[in-house]
Amino acid sequence: MFLHYIDLSWRSIKRTPVISFLMVFAIAIGIGLTMTSLSVYHMMSMDPIPHKSGNIFYPQLNIMDDGNEWHSSDNLPYQLTYQDAINLYNADIPVLKSPSFRSGFSVHLNSPEVKPTMEPARLVNREFFTIFDRPFVYGAPWSRDSQDTHEYVVVISEKINDRLFAGKNSVGQHIYLDNNSYRIVGVSANWEHHVKYYDVNNGAFNVAEQLYIPFSIAPLEEIGTWGNMNGWKHENSKGYQGLLASERVWIQFWAQLNTMQEKQQFGDYLISYMDDQREKGRFNREVLEFKLRNVTEWLEYNKVVSEDNRILVGLSFMFLLVCVSNILGLLLAKFLKRAPEVGVRRALGASKRHIFAQHIVEVSVIGLAGGLLGIAIAQLGLWGVRVTNSYYGALANMDVSMLLTAPIIALTASFLAGIYPAWLVCRTQPAIYLKSQ
Amino acid sequence: MLTMNNVSKIYQTNSVQTHALRDFSLTVNEGEFIAVTGPSGSGKTTFLNIAGLLEPFTSGQYTLDGVDIGGLSDNQTADLRNQKIGYIFQGFNLIPDLNLYENVEVPLRYRGIAAKERKIRIEQCLEQVGLASRAKHLPQQLSGGQQQRVAIARALAGKPRFLLADEPTGNLDSLMARQVMELLEEINKNGATIVMVTHDAELARRAPRNIQVVDGQLADFTLYQGKPTLAATRDNETVVASGV
Ligand SMILES: Nc1ncnc2c1ncn2[C@@H]1O[C@H](COP(=O)(O)OP(=O)(O)OP(=O)(O)O)[C@@H](O)[C@H]1O
Ligand SMILES: [Mg+2]
Repeated sequence: MFLHYIDLSWRSIKRTPVISFLMVFAIAIGIGLTMTSLSVYHMMSMDPIPHKSGNIFYPQLNIMDDGNEWHSSDNLPYQLTYQDAINLYNADIPVLKSPSFRSGFSVHLNSPEVKPTMEPARLVNREFFTIFDRPFVYGAPWSRDSQDTHEYVVVISEKINDRLFAGKNSVGQHIYLDNNSYRIVGVSANWEHHVKYYDVNNGAFNVAEQLYIPFSIAPLEEIGTWGNMNGWKHENSKGYQGLLASERVWIQFWAQLNTMQEKQQFGDYLISYMDDQREKGRFNREVLEFKLRNVTEWLEYNKVVSEDNRILVGLSFMFLLVCVSNILGLLLAKFLKRAPEVGVRRALGASKRHIFAQHIVEVSVIGLAGGLLGIAIAQLGLWGVRVTNSYYGALANMDVSMLLTAPIIALTASFLAGIYPAWLVCRTQPAIYLKSQ
Repeated sequence: MLTMNNVSKIYQTNSVQTHALRDFSLTVNEGEFIAVTGPSGSGKTTFLNIAGLLEPFTSGQYTLDGVDIGGLSDNQTADLRNQKIGYIFQGFNLIPDLNLYENVEVPLRYRGIAAKERKIRIEQCLEQVGLASRAKHLPQQLSGGQQQRVAIARALAGKPRFLLADEPTGNLDSLMARQVMELLEEINKNGATIVMVTHDAELARRAPRNIQVVDGQLADFTLYQGKPTLAATRDNETVVASGV
């Protein structure tokens, strides 16, 4: 019967091609717009590391003396000072943790054949790769030993490895970052994330860094950050060494805390650490304050998905609703014109349910066709976002879940439009139209 | 098979009330073949529609096959229509988008008959009305008489126990009309109960029982059956009518 209803729907659509096209098109436009905004929203708000997002934490310390204010919602700085980052990393707590910041270098092989390119880099400790589950194509993170002895080692991205070494195993080779030679210890798989969740301070939708070098090299080479640096007090610090000792915040920090207990212990440590620091004249405040936010909470706190995006999604759904109400009108006209035929069907033994099903199937066929066309329109829209907006580029994509969502929304929309007309038409009395004609 | 007791039907349109049937009482026995005559607008189609569960009645009692129709749900009447009753409508009421084959198929589908069985029945019925070769044609490609025959085939395909025919020969020439009449007589012989509305006195006379509807009421003509001429019938009709 279902196939028969599809057959009937197809005939009905063919009989009124203009109205049918209008309905399909209305759904398609609505779905196209909705799916464009929803896809971007979905990519933005998608959990970037679902199996671990609850276990990776970002500590924030309130380093300010009483009477100072930070421009954040809870008065906590978004980053750590260099000294706090180092101290936290060196703390004797058996959890994976790593400071990091973004910088960049001119990359070359010190030979005239390969032109140098500017590449973003991240200074991290070796635990960073484990915390964020970074897979390696070749090699592995540098050893604790290399890190402690300030060895000039580097993990390069697959992309750089492809360009400089034609994709071959380059572990053990050397490359130049600015004027220093670094030994390659690993090639990490390209990191394709929609949200750069491990460093939202430097643009939550930036691309991943292509180079990773030990954090311990920063003071030796006086490597500056490519990200934000903020302070809360006037300091007379001079030069790079001054920066390292200052109260300015510019370092991000992550710790993997697998259990509530680990989180509790880490929090306790933070308090005792701040207490200790008081003796050095820091943390002059009544109440010591810290926050440990996991990845999900961190993205939420940083409003990675902005209010604008939510409003855009809401607006596009409202537009879809307008399309739905138009379709409702068209369906009403179309179905009621068919009442005489429905009367005959009822007279010949069709129950209300038969008639309702027939019309709902027709509505679904229209909805589904609109949904498919809508996906095409959404792809066009996303392509438009990609070419006009490189920052949101990685977000303007439809993943499988969105591809599956589109027809579901289209069907829901068409049901919304079709249920009332189908219900009206299935209540046709069999006899009404039999006497005329 | 069918018992109507003081069934009335009032149509209410705006401020006008039309008493299409008034205290209509009739018993039809299993296997009967009844011809219904009466002037235009007297309520014949209304009677047939109520008998066929196509519309509700205003008051009175109606039992079909021992089932009290008044208390049935919409689904139950739909099932009864589908399983027991065949219709030949006054207008042919074919579905314009469906070809002849598919038109005849409609009631069979709702009854849930398998495709193979449907095919056999449809081809047989179209054969019976002489339209087998035009199974793929659309209704609008046929003459009125041919459409009428498709409507008959559609009613017969379900092998109904109770066949209601509203002017089944109205659009046919006398030869074709006689053939249709013979077809109805044959299925009546095979056990179907038939109620047929007709304006054709000659055809009506061939039916074993004649009834006349006048002004929404019934005049039973069994007494005069086979005897009266057309004129006599007219006379009697007037008498009955004025007696109301
Ligand atoms: N749906 C309706 N609404 C209002 N009045 C109706 C309706 N159907 C029928 N009537 C009226 O009821 C009366 C009986 O109509 P019905 O169709 O039963 O007559 P009929 O005997 O079949 O006539 P004909 O021989 O012309 O087919 C007529 O006066 C008609 O106008
Ligand atoms: Mg009539």
